[in-house]
Amino acid sequence: MQNRPLTPTLVLLAALALGWIALSYCTASPYYILLLTLVPIWALLGVSWNLFSGYSGLISFGHGAFFGLGAYAVMIGLTRFNLSPWFGLPLAGVLGALAGAAIGWPTFRLRGNYFALAMLAYPLMMAYFTGWAGYQELSVPLHREAPVWFMQFTDTHAYVLIAVVLLLSGVLISLAVERSRFGMSLMAMKQNELAAEAAGIDTRLWKLRAMMISGAIAAIAGGLYAVVVLVVTPSSVFGLVVSAQAMILVMFGGAGTIWGPLIGAAVLVPLGETLQANLGAILPGIQGVLYGVAVIAVVLIAPEGIYWKLRDQRRTAHIERPAPPPPAAVETIAATAQGEMLLEIDGLGKFFGGVAAVQGLTFSVREHEVLGIIGPNGAGKTTLFNLLCGVVTPSTGSIRYAGQSIGGLAPNRIARLRIGRTFQVVRAFPRMSVLENVVVGAYAHHATDADAWNAAARAVEQVGLTPYASAAAGSLTNRELRLMELARALAGNPRLLLLDEPLAGLSASDTDELIAVVRRLPSQGITVAIIEHTMQAMVGLVDRFVVLDQGQLLADGLPADVMRQRAVIEAYLGRNWEAKDAAA
Amino acid sequence: MNALIEQFVQVLAAGLTAGAIYGLTCVGLALIFGIMRVINFAQGDFIMVGMYLTVWIASRLGIFGDVAPFISALLVAPLMFTAGAALHRFLISRTTGLRAVGLSGDGHQAQLILTLGVALILQNGALIVMGSSPVSIVSHLSSSAWEIPLLIDEDSTLFLNQARTLAALVSVVVAMGLFRLIRSTELGKSLRAAADNPEAATYVGIDVSRAHRIAFGLGAAIAGVAGGLLVLTTPAQPFVGTDYIIIMYAGVVLGGIGSITGAFWGGMVIGLVQQISTLVLPLQLQNATVFLVFVLILLLRPQGLFGRSAERA
Amino acid sequence: MLRLDQVSVSYGGLRALREVSLHVAPGALTAVVGPNGAGKSTLFKAISGTVPISTGSIRFDGDDLLAHPAHRRAHLGIAHVPEGRRVFASLSVLENLEMGSATEVGRVNRSRSFQRIYTLFPILAQRRGQLAGTLSGGQQQMLAIGRALASCPRLLMLDEPSMGLSPTMADTIFDAIHTLRQEGEITILLVEQRVTDALAQCDRATVLESGRVVLEGLAADLSADRLRQAYLGV
Repeated sequence: MQNRPLTPTLVLLAALALGWIALSYCTASPYYILLLTLVPIWALLGVSWNLFSGYSGLISFGHGAFFGLGAYAVMIGLTRFNLSPWFGLPLAGVLGALAGAAIGWPTFRLRGNYFALAMLAYPLMMAYFTGWAGYQELSVPLHREAPVWFMQFTDTHAYVLIAVVLLLSGVLISLAVERSRFGMSLMAMKQNELAAEAAGIDTRLWKLRAMMISGAIAAIAGGLYAVVVLVVTPSSVFGLVVSAQAMILVMFGGAGTIWGPLIGAAVLVPLGETLQANLGAILPGIQGVLYGVAVIAVVLIAPEGIYWKLRDQRRTAHIERPAPPPPAAVETIAATAQGEMLLEIDGLGKFFGGVAAVQGLTFSVREHEVLGIIGPNGAGKTTLFNLLCGVVTPSTGSIRYAGQSIGGLAPNRIARLRIGRTFQVVRAFPRMSVLENVVVGAYAHHATDADAWNAAARAVEQVGLTPYASAAAGSLTNRELRLMELARALAGNPRLLLLDEPLAGLSASDTDELIAVVRRLPSQGITVAIIEHTMQAMVGLVDRFVVLDQGQLLADGLPADVMRQRAVIEAYLGRNWEAKDAAA
Repeated sequence: MNALIEQFVQVLAAGLTAGAIYGLTCVGLALIFGIMRVINFAQGDFIMVGMYLTVWIASRLGIFGDVAPFISALLVAPLMFTAGAALHRFLISRTTGLRAVGLSGDGHQAQLILTLGVALILQNGALIVMGSSPVSIVSHLSSSAWEIPLLIDEDSTLFLNQARTLAALVSVVVAMGLFRLIRSTELGKSLRAAADNPEAATYVGIDVSRAHRIAFGLGAAIAGVAGGLLVLTTPAQPFVGTDYIIIMYAGVVLGGIGSITGAFWGGMVIGLVQQISTLVLPLQLQNATVFLVFVLILLLRPQGLFGRSAERA
Repeated sequence: MLRLDQVSVSYGGLRALREVSLHVAPGALTAVVGPNGAGKSTLFKAISGTVPISTGSIRFDGDDLLAHPAHRRAHLGIAHVPEGRRVFASLSVLENLEMGSATEVGRVNRSRSFQRIYTLFPILAQRRGQLAGTLSGGQQQMLAIGRALASCPRLLMLDEPSMGLSPTMADTIFDAIHTLRQEGEITILLVEQRVTDALAQCDRATVLESGRVVLEGLAADLSADRLRQAYLGV
């Protein structure tokens, strides 16, 4: 996102804002002015939803909680404390942020569908409590003595102005988030939460921050809604329709972009209101039916929303792919002197419900070594890997890294100790450039965004993808995707790099290229441990093999030695191999 | 003191009768979620449709008198089954199974949102077609009660509303019938097999998408019958379904995802909690209590009482 | 009985199978071996129809398999025991077998085939009522094979039956496979990572490497050197 120019977007936003306000002055009809006010208010709610769910991918069905909270905060402020909405709105924002924290903290422990269900419950609960507390229906009290102080304008165009200004502020906040590491971290979490953790991103903290900002904005939208419509009831602001509307507007317009909520609100709100106004007498629920049809259509036809669908169609016309660089001359690399023990594993074991996935593993990795961890299917390599990366905690034994015990640490903490890893299935942001994909790996290790981008550029160069740095990741071949994944791990400036089956499914020539890149890493100060099934390709790459079978260590030594060991051969080929071999 | 006991027993009875019907609704949801892993937002609205259908059918079965509402409720089942199966075939199946492989999150989000769309259309469609005034069945069963003397003293009696009690009994019978279907028939076993392992099920010749369709139809049918039983005591109106969504999910999660019998007991517990809470809390808050219980379960024990797997996404 | 012709399968850009041709004679046991990631499981999934084919054809007894959806193929007489067993955990042993025999042929011959399964794997008879999810790995493998046999198949496909089992358990399984082969009624297609075990059982073997057939022939003819090279790179 860094490389995209900001000015055209800002100019467009300013133009739209001015255009909207001008449009409102073209009419004196209270009905149309109200419509022109409601569209930006709902768009603002959509912006808040997008800020959280659109970027992070965690679908919230409960944003009505914040909207309603803001509406009631402003209302109760007006009716009981004579508080002007000029103060009430910021107060609503603060309450919304606090509610975001209070709701987010416990609920983030839940995954996927459970999270959605819990979020559904909150606004409904609040509706019941509000009803019970006696605030069934609240109306804005008239203040003829100081109308402007109480945000009661005779010229209703003023409301349009306020709504547009608030919307613009919300969009600018979104824009700032989207272009910063905040937004990138959220999007990385959406792609692959585990990978984000492994890159050092503290996912819980970012989710919480996003929820707080989202809650604040939604509450302000609710507060303004109360001021404009003059009457609130629990169902009108806490109801399922509100939460659904937040979601539908954004999903229709396009999640994960500032334009989504704007498109969604601009299309669906007028459509809904018009249908309601014209047909509401004979077809009282027509607006709801419209939203229902809209959301079904979106899910089936354009699941990512109108914005992305249109953009993809335009872009496919001209996807630029840079010409592949000429093949580099084969270079002989002097072996790097191997240093101290970097990783020491002692008696490591992991049991899943009584069954030992791995047990009694004892081996070490020296600094600047390239170690190959191999073994047949089901040997426990993945479990070992997960133990090293913090995905699972050891049942027995220890893992020491640079003298420090790391067994059981969370993945993002392990990442911050400069242990990096790659994932076998590469989940990239297809529409973003290679550089943007890589920078996610740099955030946890670089305090400023500028440093992060530099580190990303360096990593891209390390793997030889510089000509492709600005190409969209969706246009890359398999080999290039693997290299990009490697660059993402390198951007974190790792001391120890764990590669998870980097060669799986690659053709012979692609494998050679990848191996050449990995072979260079020790000379750049990185120790490498690779998990793979087959030995062929690895023979020329690794300094040492560790062979696992049935969860236990079978062999540990130089490739030539290990592969001649009978136990190793039999692990792959079956017992009595030697007999057959001799007989042949 | 005796008055307190009488009140407690009364509330307990209310909890059991409400709980039985809630249990039935939970069973319908558990069927769909357990077999297909689909969160169906429209399940509450299936109940609502069942309510209206029952009223309509009952008004045409006047000759059966007091039994009419119960017969109507049962007749709703095949209608709802067909509708549910059709809905699955033409809409829901596009976001599950093999077709979902390309969608993000394997289609789970997509089906969640799809069912939300269906819910909105059903609710507002009902508003258009039926209007917003509540509709109910006129039956003198709803206003009669059996009086059971409690043995504490001469005056204490337990009042059992006849309609509610009969509805609860029918719920139990229907639920038991469903358990039998799932446990013992070849169809039920093939549904469970498809849920356990869709790939292996395909290899033994089970048509997994047909299994899903049947499960969805059955879930809709159960919801319809439950609606029919509820309408004796709760009037039908377009948005009544939302009241039951949280109750159903709370019951299913409490009973444990993947356990259909557990879901029935979960619904029972929710009914009891809801009614017993009226002893200490004002009436308006009884639903809020359910929500609170729901959120607490999700946070403290997501695998429920009988569940197999925790934190399933 | 089974003929694959130039079958290719792609998974999002990765070519899992490249123009694989395979011929399985009736009544024989054919082994498909190769290192991990060679495409062996993909081959089975292509035959069963749970993975789409990009090019090529598959004929079963002359019948074009691609005309039948995946869930119909069991009814044609193809039984697939997938990798990792995949028993129906919440059903009992007996119910698992019942599910396996839910084809027309299977239903008709149910009592006879169940007898045969219990003779082959006595422990399944003993634990008829036990929940399949609580069985040990080896027992689950026996159940998975039994479930496949319950449909009275003409072609039995076994995907790595010995994976994750102790050597003794693996022996038991291979003994059962040997018995089936001796009976000669069923055609067997066996995928195994452990080459010696597979070669000891089979009549013919095909070696896959990176999705391609690199070697094919009678078990006795396959050169030890070439096999070792395919697996270990030496």
